[in-house]
Amino acid sequence: MDRLLKIISQSLKAVKAFKLRTLFCILSVALGIASISVIVAATEGAYKKALEIVAMFGPDALLVFGGGEEARATGQRMKTITLDDIETARQAFFSAYLVVPMTAMRDVTVSHRDKKYQTLIVGSTSDYSRAWTWPVVQGSDFTEEDVKGLRNVGLIGQFLARELFGDIDPVGKYVLVRRIPVQIVGVLSERGTTPAGDRLDDRMIIPITTLMRKLQNETTYVSGLRIRFYDQKNLDFHAEEVRAFLRGRHRIPEGEPDDFTIISPKEIIKFLVALTGSLVVFLGVTGVISLVIAGFVLANLFLLSVRERTREIGIRRAAGARKRDILFQFLGEAVVITTLGGIFGLALALLSSKLLMYIAQFPIYFSWKAFAVGMILSWIVGIGFGLQPANRAANLKPIEAIRG
Amino acid sequence: MPLCLMENIRKTFHTGAIDVEVLKNINLRLERSEFVAIMGTSGSGKTTLMNIIGCLDTPTSGRYVLADKEVSHLSDDELSVIRNEHIGFVFQNFYLLPYATVLENVLLPTLYIEKQKDNREQQAVDLLQLVGLKERIRFKPNQLSGGEQQRVAIARALVNDPDLLLADEPTGQLDSKTAEEIMNLLREMNTRGKTVLVITHDQNVAAYAQRTVQIKDGTIIE
Repeated sequence: MDRLLKIISQSLKAVKAFKLRTLFCILSVALGIASISVIVAATEGAYKKALEIVAMFGPDALLVFGGGEEARATGQRMKTITLDDIETARQAFFSAYLVVPMTAMRDVTVSHRDKKYQTLIVGSTSDYSRAWTWPVVQGSDFTEEDVKGLRNVGLIGQFLARELFGDIDPVGKYVLVRRIPVQIVGVLSERGTTPAGDRLDDRMIIPITTLMRKLQNETTYVSGLRIRFYDQKNLDFHAEEVRAFLRGRHRIPEGEPDDFTIISPKEIIKFLVALTGSLVVFLGVTGVISLVIAGFVLANLFLLSVRERTREIGIRRAAGARKRDILFQFLGEAVVITTLGGIFGLALALLSSKLLMYIAQFPIYFSWKAFAVGMILSWIVGIGFGLQPANRAANLKPIEAIRG
Repeated sequence: MPLCLMENIRKTFHTGAIDVEVLKNINLRLERSEFVAIMGTSGSGKTTLMNIIGCLDTPTSGRYVLADKEVSHLSDDELSVIRNEHIGFVFQNFYLLPYATVLENVLLPTLYIEKQKDNREQQAVDLLQLVGLKERIRFKPNQLSGGEQQRVAIARALVNDPDLLLADEPTGQLDSKTAEEIMNLLREMNTRGKTVLVITHDQNVAAYAQRTVQIKDGTIIE
C-alpha cells in the first residue's frame, strides 16, 4: 500500500511535469464528460419537470376533449360532448369526486378602460379552481349561484391581471369581455408556462352558463370535461370506463374511432419525453463521440509519452521497479489526468446547463447522479485508454529501455 | 564466498536467422570490497557482460551467483528485487530524471524497496553531503554541470546501500579534470567498503582499479 502510494506520487509528479500533455488530455476528456453529464442532468431534469407537470395536471385527473385524435390541434377541436353527457357522468361515476365541465374560447378581446388584450376565456363551474388545484389567492371564487344565475363574474389569471390592471388590485373591478362587463371576484395563483411555452396565467374563468348563453349562444355542447378520481392507482382503468361510457352515449359502433380524446397524466409524460427526447439523443450521441475521441487523444498522447520517456522507464527498471510498478505509474497518470478532466468537465457542464436553461428553457437538474456518472466515466476512459500505453511501458525490456 | 561468481556464462543473441554468440564461456570472480575494471573495445561484449552482472539481462547458459544467491534463472520480478537491493548503477550519460529534483532523483531506488524503512530521506541527504551537493538538493538536473549530475547519479546508486556499485563508462561524458574527481569519488566509496566494478575502454579510468579484467570477442583474455 505504502509502495503503491509512492508510485502514485510519481504519477502526480509526471502529470505536473508534462504540462502540455496534461492540458490536452484534460481538455478533451472535459468536453466529453461535460456533454454526458449534461445529458444525465437533462434526463433527470425532464423527469422532474414531468412529475411537476403531472402534479399540476393532477395525478388523479383525466381531461376529456371533444373531437378524435386527428383533430387534436388546439382550436380545431370539434364539439361532441354535451352538458347532458357530463351530468350523467357525474351521477354514474361513484369513483370520481369531481366532474367539471369546461368550455373555452380563444383570442377573445377583453378590455379595461383603454387597455385591450386578447385572451383565453374558460367557462366552468365553481369547482374549476378545485378541479385544477389552482387556488384563488386574492378575492374569492365565484359560487354555484353565480353559475345558476348566469352572472357576469369571473376569476382572472395573474398575467392577464398585470396586462389590464398593472399594479392595481383587480378584485371588484370590471372587465369588458366583448360587450359584456364582467366583474372580477378573484385572482388565481401564478402557474407559469406549459412545456410548450404557453402562458397559463393568461386567462379568465367565468361561469360556463354565462359563457355559453351570452358569448356563444350555445345550449348543448361544451369543449370538454375534467374528472378527478379517488384512487389514482386505477386511473388507467377509469379512463377506459369513461371511454366506454362516452362511446355508449355517442352511439359509436365498434371499429369506429372515438369522437373525443382522453388525456391522462401518462400522456403528458409521453409528450414531455417526445419534447426533450430529441435534444437528449443529440447530446447523447455528441457526448459519446467526444468521450471516445477524448480516449483516443489520451491513448495517443500517452503512447507518445511512453516513447519519449523510454529512458526514464529504463532508469526506473534498473533502480528496481517491477513491471507492475511501471504499469501502475502510467495508469495512475492517466487516471489522475482523466479525473482532473472529469472535474473540469463537470464544471463546464454546470456552466453550459445554466446557458441551456436560459436559452432553451430546458429543464436541467444536477444531482449526485450526474456527478457520479461523470467521474466514473472519466475513470473508465483513463483506465480503458491508458491501459495499452501503460502496458507497453511496463513491457519494455530494461536493457533496451535504458539505451533510449 | 565471493560477491560475484560467474561460471561458464554464455550469451547468444538471435538476430533473424543468425545466432550471435556475444559471450563465450565467461568465468569471473569478484570479491567483496574489490575495485575492479573490465576493459574492452566496443563490440567486445563488455556491455552485455555488464548487463548480466547488473541483473538487467539473463545469460543463455551458465551459473551466476550474486551475494550468495543463484540469479541466472530468476523471473523478471525477482531480478528487479535483486537490482533494487544489491546493485547501484552509474551510467555514462548520468540518466537523471529531468523533471525531478536532485533529492527526488537520489530517492528513486527507495520507491521500489520491498520492506520500507524510515530515514531514507536522511540517508539521501547524507549521501548528497558526501558527494558535495548538499546545497543543491532542490535543483533540477539541467541546473547542474556534468560532473555534478554524475555525483547525483552516484548518490542515487548508493542510496539503497547496495553490495555492488556498477559504473558503465562513468567518465565518458566528462572532461579529464572532472573525470578525475569522479574516479576519486568512486575510489573513496571503495575505501568505505563498497565493491566497485567499472566498465571502460579508457586506460586512465582502469588505472584507478586494483585489478583489471580484459575482455575481447566475448571471452576474458586476462
